[in-house]
This record gives sequence, structure tokens and C-alpha cells, in this order.
Amino acid sequence: MTQVMQPETGPQGQVAMVIDLNKCMGCQTCSVACKVLWTREEGEEHQWWMTVNTQPGKGAPKDWETMGGGLRDGKPVAGHQPTRAEFGGGWDFNYQEVFYGGKGNKTHLHPIDHGDGNTEWGMNWDEDQGAGEWPNAYYFYLPRLCNHCTRPVCAEACPTGAMYKRREDGIVLRNEDACQGFRFCAEACPYKKIYFNYVKNVSQHCIMCFPRLEEGVAPACARQCPGRLMFVGSLDDKDGPLHKLVNEWGVALPLHPEYGTGANIFYVPPLAPYKLNDDMSIDYETPRIPPEYLESLFGPKVHQALATIQGELDKVRGGGTSEILETLIVYKWLDLFGPFTADPAQLDRKPESVAARFTQKPS
Amino acid sequence: MRVQRVSGDLGDPAASGWSAVEGESVALVPVPLDAQPTEYIRVKWAGLTYGNVKEANVAAATDGAHLYVRLEWADSETPNGEFADAAAVYFPSAGDAPAATIGSAGAPANLWYWQANLADAKSLVASGPGVFRPRGSNGVGASSSNEGGRWAVVLSGDLADAKSGGKLGVAVWDGSNEERAGIGAVTASWITLETE
Repeated sequence: MTQVMQPETGPQGQVAMVIDLNKCMGCQTCSVACKVLWTREEGEEHQWWMTVNTQPGKGAPKDWETMGGGLRDGKPVAGHQPTRAEFGGGWDFNYQEVFYGGKGNKTHLHPIDHGDGNTEWGMNWDEDQGAGEWPNAYYFYLPRLCNHCTRPVCAEACPTGAMYKRREDGIVLRNEDACQGFRFCAEACPYKKIYFNYVKNVSQHCIMCFPRLEEGVAPACARQCPGRLMFVGSLDDKDGPLHKLVNEWGVALPLHPEYGTGANIFYVPPLAPYKLNDDMSIDYETPRIPPEYLESLFGPKVHQALATIQGELDKVRGGGTSEILETLIVYKWLDLFGPFTADPAQLDRKPESVAARFTQKPS
Repeated sequence: MRVQRVSGDLGDPAASGWSAVEGESVALVPVPLDAQPTEYIRVKWAGLTYGNVKEANVAAATDGAHLYVRLEWADSETPNGEFADAAAVYFPSAGDAPAATIGSAGAPANLWYWQANLADAKSLVASGPGVFRPRGSNGVGASSSNEGGRWAVVLSGDLADAKSGGKLGVAVWDGSNEERAGIGAVTASWITLETE
């Protein structure tokens, strides 16, 4: 029998993130920062460990919220392993035909359809579609990465023991040399953030940029985000913004808490403008994003979270001050990153220095 | 099963050396659900059919240094695109290693593993159904063909693996049924090898 992973963490506690959806503008800088750093090799074309999707939407992989996995009453739920076509993307384009084939005036640049369905979806396929009708159409952006769950059902499902939750910071990792490509992890993950590398025959997922964390540098997605909206740090640091936003003030919530895995990526839910009536007057009673839709994503605590933020806004507009808003505004960029404020450009990159830093790392 | 000493080529399923080697029909049965190593796998496969390949023709031969095992079975021929057909032979590396579960935690088996979409065969240590770990480089090789709706695979490796226990197990996974790891068909008991 393989050993079931224990949610034990060490001195640094659980590394977590808070993502403020009120500030996300869907620019995909986080997605691209991750893509450029980690998934540029052959077999990783379709892999986007960080994705930003428009909500409401089918997301990536397509209809991932209907694919099962996770836990119910503490027991695993059977899941579907997303197919290459359901992830989509990673296309080949007809560059040869357009630029060199003499057909530049007759055809246009398009993905080549290999008959495998890969050209019928992609990581942000339904971007900006959202829901609702003018003038009350609505949408918001939802960045998603591996949740580095407190109870990693992916690791529990794996028969080979290739996956583990790191004691010192709770990051869920995989020994690719031990992974046999069986993909029970991808089935069991309710967030569908595990990808398969068809060239290496191993599964792969977000590693929370652990080599950067080990050098005091924030993950690439968070550090590259121009919106100052991704907090990184230890959830167990009582004085840090993550603990306060999540545990003290209750304004940051996990996505789909009903999945039961204890996600460690938390979201500040989006406030919505008021609905407009047919005569374009404002309906002050009805937010444009249906609260029940937000509840379907973030659970029943979303109502209190939104009420808290609205209350703080009202307080400040009335001349008061708010520690919650001061925190969420992020006047100083580096305040986002807790103990991970080092500038990667300033690190000593000499090979011998790097080698010295990476010896004797526990796993 | 007799392991015949052959001087001719045995390296692929159609190699000349196999013409003189008699194969045996071997019955395969699903690895029991309750022996699956993780709760997730037991939940997922409860009530589902697996172990689709019920029979394989097995032949074994040696050149004196290497063991060659030729497996042949009817392919379901309905690839689902995500999982590939696979097969393995395995040998007890401890005396009481169970065949029906491909070894166990305290009594592992050495596994020579072939998968249709992989270039190279794998040498693995099996401590139970799907509880497979890399064994390091052991010179395990494979060659395969798929003709007339039948897979034929030759797995080869160090004869010492076979001689240490003198017994052989066979496993086949139907990729079109998403079979992999412990979800597959195996020999319920060991096949005794008589090496010439």
C-alpha cells in the first residue's frame, strides 16, 4: 500500500496565495510568465499551469467543473481525466502555407486541424463572453493554478508514490523520474490543474515556483502581475496579510470549498456594479453578478465576505479608515510577497553559487 | 514452461528463432479490486469492468545470457487516444512474492514493462498492483508488432531475473479501456520456468 500523505507542514507553514479578483484585468501576464518559465518544452505545448478564465464560462479544460474528483464526506470521488482535446491549444499554425507557399493572398493564418479536436478549445477560449444581457452583461476574471491542497487527493490517488506534499512549505510536488504516467492524479484532482506530457509520459503541474521560493523570490505569476493582486506568503504567519485576509477578516475564500481538499489558493470575490433598469436608472438592490453564482464558486461564505468589503468601502467613503482596504490596495508592491521579496536579477547566478544553494534541500 | 535454448535471432516477434519455440496459452484474470493500492482507484473502478484481455500466448527462450519472452494476444482495436496498450512479464525477487497482485510491499517482483506508445521498455520494481518504481538500467528491451488484430511483443532482459525465482508472471493492459497500473489482467499464479 502506498503511504497516504499527511498534511504536515514545517517551520514556514503552508505557502498560500490570495488573489484579489476585484483587481484582475485578465491580461494573462501571469499565464505567460509561467508559460515562458516552465512549459516551453516539447510535450508541454498545451500546458498552462496558470490560466485566467472569464467567469461565467466553461473554463480550461472545457467544462472542468463537471469532471468530478475531490472528496465528499472525506471519501474520494471518481473523476474524469481531461483529454488533450478538452485542454485544447498548443496548436501548429500554417505558417509555411501563408508565408512561403505562395498562398498569402488566398488563405489566412489558422491553427492546423489534425483531426484530434485540439483546435476546438483553448486555455482562454471563451474569454470575455461572460453572461447576462445588455445593459446588464457581466463577467470577471479567475486566475487558476494548482491549489497545493491541504489534503492533496492527487498524491493520495497515485499508486507509485511519485507525488508528495513538502513538509517545509506544503507545496505539492512530483518526482518525474518515479511518475509512470498513470494519471490517477489528474482524475482525482477536482480543479483539473494536472496536465499530461505526452512526450515524457509523465503528468506535470504547477510547482509554486519552488526553486524561486527557496531563494526568496516570489512565484513568477505573482511577481509579474501588473495589477498588484496576488499575495504570496505563509498562511500560518499571524501577522501576514494572508492569515488576516483568510482567517481573520474572512474576505478571501477558496474556490469550490465543497471539493473538500482544502485549497490553499484563496480569492477575494468580485464586487459588482448595480443592475440597470430598462429606463437606465440604477437598481440599488441588485448586484449585476448574481450572488448565487458567486456562491456556486466560493460557497455560502461569499455573502459575508462581500458584505464585509462593502462595509469597509462605505466606512472609508464616510471618512473612516480600513485596514482591510489598506491591505488590499497594496501601496507598496513588495508588500504582496511576504518573505519572498528577493529580486531574481540581483541573485548571485554564478554556477558554483547556485550549486551551493541547492545542495542538501530536504524533500 | 520450458525456456528453450535458441541460437537464432529472438529480438522481435517475427524473428526466425521463434519458429522452433512452442508457446502456451495462459489465462489472465483481473487484479482484484480490493488489492488496488489507493482508495481513489478502488472507488473509481468499483462496478467497472477491467482485465479485458483474458488469454495470451506465451513463449520463452534464451540465448544463454538473456531471457526472451514472446507474448501474443487479441487487441481490442478501439484506441481511446489517451491510454496505450501495455504488457509486462514479472519475476519474484523475494520468495513469497504474490503473482496475482504483481508483488507486494514486503515481497516485490522485477517487472519488464512494454507500452505501445513508448520507445523504450522499462525495468521496474513492483510492490503491488501499479506500485511500480524505476529499477534503474537493467538492459530490458522490447519489440512489438500489431498485425491481424493481434499484438505480438517480445520482452527481453537478463536471464538472472528469471533464474532467481524460476517463475514468471504476465500482465496485459487494454488501453482502450483506460487500463493501467493495477487495473489490468494478470496470471493468477506463477508460471514455473524450466531453463535449459
